[in-house]
Formats: sequence, structure tokens, C-alpha cells
Amino acid sequence: MRPFVENFPFFSIFLAILAAIVTATIRSGRAAYWVTVGVCAVGAALNACVLEYTYLGDLSFTYTMGRFLAPYGNAINCGPLQAMLTTSFSLVMAASLAGGRRDLFQDVLPEKQRLYFVMVDMLQASLLALTYTNDVFTGYVFIEISTIAACALVMAKDNGPNLIATIRYLFMSLVGSGLFLIGLTVLNSITGYLLMPSLAEAVEGLRLSGSYPIPLTVAVGLIVAGLGVKSAMFPFHLWLPDAHGGATSASSAILSGLVLKGYIVLLLVMILRVFSMELMVELGVTDVILAFGLLGMIFGSLAAMRENHIKRMLAYSSVAQVGYIFMGMGLGSVEGLIASCFHILVHACCKPLLFLCAGRLSAVSGHHKSLKNLRGSAYRDVVAGLGFTVGALSMIGIPLFGGFVSKLYFANAAVPTGMTAMILLTIALSTVLNALYYVPALLAIWVKPPAEDEAAILADVHPGETARDRSFMAAAIVLTLGIFVLGIFYHPITDLIEAGVWLI
Amino acid sequence: MLEDIIQNRYAVTAVILFGIGFTNLMLQQNLLRKVIGFNIMDSAIFLLLASLGYIDGGVAPIVGDRGFDPLYINPIPSGLVLTGIVVSVSITAFSLALIQRIYRRYGTIEMRELLERAKKEDD
Amino acid sequence: MSKQPEKHDRLRQLVSWVDGDREPKDQTLFVMEQRPHRDFRPSEEEFERREKDRLRKFFNWYPIAAAVISAVLGLILLATVMNMPGFGQEDNPINNEVSQRYLEQGAEETGSENVVTAMIIGYRGFDTLGESCVLFLAVAAVMILLLRDRKNTSEHEARQMEREEESVQEHADLILKQVAWVLIPFIFLFAIYVLLNGETSPGGGFSGGTILGAGLILFSAAFGTRHMQTLMNRRRYSAVRTFGLLLYGILYGIYIFIGANDLPNYLTGMILLIDLAVGLVVACTMYGFYALFSRGEI
Repeated sequence: MRPFVENFPFFSIFLAILAAIVTATIRSGRAAYWVTVGVCAVGAALNACVLEYTYLGDLSFTYTMGRFLAPYGNAINCGPLQAMLTTSFSLVMAASLAGGRRDLFQDVLPEKQRLYFVMVDMLQASLLALTYTNDVFTGYVFIEISTIAACALVMAKDNGPNLIATIRYLFMSLVGSGLFLIGLTVLNSITGYLLMPSLAEAVEGLRLSGSYPIPLTVAVGLIVAGLGVKSAMFPFHLWLPDAHGGATSASSAILSGLVLKGYIVLLLVMILRVFSMELMVELGVTDVILAFGLLGMIFGSLAAMRENHIKRMLAYSSVAQVGYIFMGMGLGSVEGLIASCFHILVHACCKPLLFLCAGRLSAVSGHHKSLKNLRGSAYRDVVAGLGFTVGALSMIGIPLFGGFVSKLYFANAAVPTGMTAMILLTIALSTVLNALYYVPALLAIWVKPPAEDEAAILADVHPGETARDRSFMAAAIVLTLGIFVLGIFYHPITDLIEAGVWLI
Repeated sequence: MLEDIIQNRYAVTAVILFGIGFTNLMLQQNLLRKVIGFNIMDSAIFLLLASLGYIDGGVAPIVGDRGFDPLYINPIPSGLVLTGIVVSVSITAFSLALIQRIYRRYGTIEMRELLERAKKEDD
Repeated sequence: MSKQPEKHDRLRQLVSWVDGDREPKDQTLFVMEQRPHRDFRPSEEEFERREKDRLRKFFNWYPIAAAVISAVLGLILLATVMNMPGFGQEDNPINNEVSQRYLEQGAEETGSENVVTAMIIGYRGFDTLGESCVLFLAVAAVMILLLRDRKNTSEHEARQMEREEESVQEHADLILKQVAWVLIPFIFLFAIYVLLNGETSPGGGFSGGTILGAGLILFSAAFGTRHMQTLMNRRRYSAVRTFGLLLYGILYGIYIFIGANDLPNYLTGMILLIDLAVGLVVACTMYGFYALFSRGEI
């Protein structure tokens, strides 16, 4: 008989699935909203218990999904790292929903709101399952679930450009999952396993014996490429700005902050648990990831600088931030991975905050979204303005904010590699570029426009929009606190990540 | 070389089909053709999976009163193919629904035209 | 602010630079491309022209890049399968102790003689639960898109659909009706047979459910919406669908909980129930796709 707390990861996944099924029958959108937020909150609480249990006990455990032990039956694996990621994902999910609530109920037709929440519930389940999974094929199934749910979140607003963005997103995701699946097939044909521990043993055996070198390399490459396409790794990011920029605020926040991370976490877990860092370095895959990451950091920022549409700017900035995460993975060391994990957390707090605040700012400016029309909007909703400022400063990497710490760790991890100078220079350049588009955005929202322009904007504003939005404020406060905690009390968190990486 | 091809004939066919599907998915401008490309691609993966599980002279893995005498094929890839097919059907339906809506709204399903028009509608 | 006109002016300059309306003074450092000086507001045509230019550039290089990627990928994969384990050989790595155990003990451990069923419902059942969720989710997504509402159907279209429906009712195809009348009972019977025999023969929830769904589609096509409504209206549809997946989910959840905690297992005959639940979900999915695509309603 195992300790009861070990059931919690499974409970949190299962609860989300059940909630999705039940939500489909609830008529009222508000009730569905509360069910979903409740599920996310309960998920966060359950996973926090698991985090405490695994971190204090310094252990990780495998939970068999059924009676059959690995390698025969499905299983999930849980350590401090996974528990921490799922706790924060659940919290951010709840905050994103709360923060985008008003926009959401306006943008989605009343009779379809419950379906929107079905998607969010399923997305929650798939994020948890992707993080916890101990089985690569379960990973594939939940990748597909999150693909469909994420596409549905994009199109929920249901206007023309949104539909086109969705179909581009869908096709790009299909390319990604196709590559991932054929990679899995090749891997399965040369190892014969699907569960990670046995797979890792078989891969290690192949590495040592040197048999099937080409299929092994290709399988690793295809899996990385497939997950890379899905998480908007640099040259495959073209679908992202339209999809994330056009959706309703809550969707943008969830997509940018969490869905991209789900795939990255799966990749990370597979690197750590299946392929092992040595193999990745030996095959040269890390160098490719590093190169794409560095390019993404630069070109994502350059594209963001060109953008006037605030949400598309933030979406391009996500490309750059994903580039950071891949850069950390590409360093080929555990320090790099720790920095990547930390940046996943930082970005999961910052980007939803930025998107939610941008949504609020544009709501108090008559739903205009170009920076020119948002001038002075921060005075119309001070909380949103402050939240945007905090998020932007963290993205630039000002000390005391979370983004600074992750950049510090990235730089630290880059020192022992052979390419220290190049990586450090790229980080510096990318930071400057970040500042070059975030500072103008900050100036734009905080500088009052000429009176006649402001009057023209205010004429478009719906009177109900300027009223205070309590749930948004709560969400903004939670996310802002998250950024400060990550920026100031980072030491325990990195300790935790490190323990998790070793225990994974 | 030729021997390799003949020995792995199903896998080679599957990979060629995958290439065709992938190219269609990437290059076609017509959304419907993209979906068809995706279906070819997925079917190719299923062919590859199914061929992996086959053992020469094996029979379907239904262990009835036949006991363990006959050689059975490997059941795992078959199960994976089943899962894959279901996922592929769902995604096809979803993308077709999207295409139908796009067609109703814009009157075209050519990617290029759609992108040109979508830019105009942006704020 | 009015007390410091100079500073104010600077600020205005900065703001106009921020909006992309003006180049920065120092044009050496971060200027991506030199642009001719423009008026305070760029004209709409100018903006549009540039957008179009970018789009054209994109369409120029995209096919080349995509073709190169496809060709390289194809070659890599060809090289891979040449080096993969040979086709049909018994000692391939994939034929290891896992499949051995499924074949030898599957019937005993899960109660299903069909090892594929044993695997997808017993050993790797969590995947299958995910798979059913994919189906459920796909119907929900199609519903978001196609369920008739004020955004996707104008009144004119709705009326036109109604008229078409009427004309179909009046001029129903006699042959189709008669054939359907004969066939449908057998289709349902066969569906139930396949559904309940997943343990001992090729079949089970997915295949049986598909046949059941096909029967429903034939019924709906032959006898029209109105008769279909008596068999399955929206409420009944959503009830059956929810019931199926909920039954599956709860059963399987209990199964996992019992299995993982080593509790005694009383769930014999679970495969039959799960097959039934999966069959309901699949049938509802198939019929749901048909109904949503053909008339935007269930």
C-alpha cells in the first residue's frame, strides 16, 4: 500500500478529465467557468502536496496506471521538478482564466462558452499528463489533445482572421505531431519499448554497442524537431504571432504561457530520462538546438520590434523567450537545463501577465490594439498599467524581477562551454533588443496623448469597460507576486529545480 | 542496396508515402489538399507501424483455444495504430470543419488569398 | 508639463519614434532599414503596400524552403529505414518480453483472448482513455465551429436550409428508404455483435461504435431529420455521449486506483463494460460529425 499522497498526481489529471466531460453538459457559462477555475485550484493544491512530499522526502516515485508494472503498463512518474511545474501551471491557468474573464465572456458566444471551458479543462489535463508521463506514447496522445484544445482556444473568438490563424496553427501542429510520431515509431522499432525507464536502458545499450546508429540519430532528431515545431522553435514560429495575437486575452495567456511549455517540458523530460545528455551531445543534437535557440532569441526580438499591434508584439516576444529556453537546453549541461526550467517558470508568469494587462489596456481604449491608440491607457486602468510594467521590466531583465535571475543563470551556465563569448554576446544583444521594444511600449502606455486624440479614443470605449475588473486585479496581483518571488527568493526555487533534475 | 529495399519494402513504401504527404501538407496552397496530404502522411506512419509488428508466418494475436502453438504477430504496434487512427480521424474532422467555416466566410480556400485578406481585416 | 516646453517636445519626439512615425536621431545603431522620411501618420496605402510586400516575399521563399525541407526529410527517412531491423523477422528488437507477456498472460491477466484488446484496454488503458477524450474533444471543437449561431449562419441561410430540408422530406428517395428499412436492423445487430465480442475476436468498442454510428447516419440520411429527432435529439445525444465517456472514465479511474494501490480487484468483466462505453462514445462521435457537417445541428 503506497502513501495516499502518491495518488494525487493521478487525481489531478483525472479530475480535469472528468471536469471536462461534466462541463460539456453545464448550460451556464459562468458555472462552467467556476468549475474550471476550481479544478485548476484543486489541481494546484494537490500538486503542491506532492511537491512537499517529494521534496522533503527527497524522492521520486512511479505510479502505475493500472495493475501492471513498467514496462508492461502505463505509468506516470513524479518528482519534485514535475510537481513544481504542475503546481505553477495550474495556478497560472486559474489566474489566466480569472484575468481574461470579462473579455472571454464578451468574445465567446453564450451558448458556446461551456465548450470553451471543456477545452480549458482538457488542456489542463493534458498539461499535467505531459509533465508527469512516464510513457512516450501517452505523451503523443496528450500532445494531440492539447493540439485540438489549443486550436479551439484560438478560434473561440470566431472572427475571420482568427479562423485563418487557427488553420495555420493546426497545420503546423500536424507537421510537428507527424514528425514526433514517426520518430517514436523509429525509436520503438529499434528498442521495442515505450516506457521511459526501459527505453532509456535500451537507448543506452544501443549507444554503447553502436548498433543502429542512423535510426537512433534520426529518431532523436525527429522527436526534437517535432516538439520544436509545436513549441515554436525559431524557424517554425511563423504560425505563432497570428494565433496568439488574435485570440481572446485568456486564450493568449494560456497558449503563450503554458501550452508552449507543455511540449518543452515533455522534451526536457525525454532528454533527461530517455536520451541522456551525453547521447544528445554525442549526436550533436544539442548544438542544433543551441543554434536555433540563439537565432530565435535575436530574430524573435527583431520581429517584435517591427510590430505595432501590442498582442502580436508580445507573441513575437514569446518566440524570443522560447529561444532562451532552447538555448539553455542546447548548452548540453545540467546547469543549462536548470536555467531553462527556471525560465519556463518565469515566462509562465510574465507572459500571461503581459497578455492579460494588454487585453485590459486595449479594453479601456475601445479595443484598439495598436500602440499608437493605446497611448495613455495606463492611466485609465492603473493596475493593468503597473502589471504591464512589471512584466515588461522582467522580460528585459531588470534586477529584482524574475527575468533577471534566469538571464543570470543562463549566463552562468554558458561559462563552462566552449562558446561562452558568443552566447553571452547573444544574451546581451537580445536583452538590448528586448528593451528596444518593451521600453517604447511602456512609454506609449504611460505618456498621455494630445487631448483631441484621447477624446477620439475615448469615444470608442464602451462605458462598462472602464469599471474596475476585480477578477483581473486578483490575477494580476498573483502573477506579479510570482514574478517578484522568482526574482528575489530564487535560491530555494533553483535548489528545488536542481533536486528535481537529479531525481527525475 | 536493392536487397535492403526489398527486405524493408513496406517501410520504404511507408517512408515514400510519408514524404508525399509531408510535401503536400507543406506546399499545397489549397487547404483541402493540405488535409489530404496530412492523411497520407498519417496513413504512411500507420503502415510503418503495422509492418513493424509483423512476423513472417504469424497469425492475428487472438489467443483462443489455439494455445501457444502458432506464431503470433506482435500486438503492440496494432494497438498503437488503432490509437493513431482515432486521433487522425478526429483531427481531420476538426480541420474540415474549420475549412468549411473559412469557405463560408471568405468564399475561397486558397491559402494565399486568405492570408492577403486576413491582413486587411486586422486592426 | 507645459512649464517645460523643451522637455515636452523631446517627449513628443520620442513618442513619435515609439510609434514608428519617425526615425531616431542617431541613425547608426539600431535602425534596421533606411526609410525615407514620412509624414506624421503613414498613409494607410503605404502600410498596406508594405504588408503586401512582406507577404509576397514570404510566398517567394516559402515554397523553396518547404521543398528543401521535404526533400531532405525524405532522404533522411529513406536512409533510416534501410538501416532498420528487417521486415518480418522474429528476432527484431520490437519482439521482446513485453509482447511476449501480452501474448502469454494477456488472457489470464485481463480476461481478453484478443491480445490487442487486452493491450489497449488493460495494459495501456490510459492511452485509450486519452484517445476517447480526443474523440470527445473533436466533437466539442466541431460544435464550436459548426453549431448554428448568429456568427456563422445568417437568417437567410437558415431559412434556405429549412427549405432544403422540406424538399428532401417531400421527395424522399424511395429506393434509399426501402433499402435502409431492410438494412438498418442488421447493421445495428452486427454493431452490437462486434461491440460485445471485442474480447474474443477482432472488434471491440472502436470498430463496433463505428458501425453503430454508420447505422445512425444511414437512418438519418434515409428518413430525414424529423424521424431522426424521435430517435436521437440534442438532449439525448449529449446524455448518451456524456454517459459513455463518464462511465469509461470512472470505471477506469477506479481500476487505476485499485491497481496502483494493490487493493483487491473485484472488477471482473470490466472489459465488456468499457467496450460498451467506448462504443457509445465512438458512435456518438461519428453521428455527431455527420449531423454537424450536414445541418449544423444535432
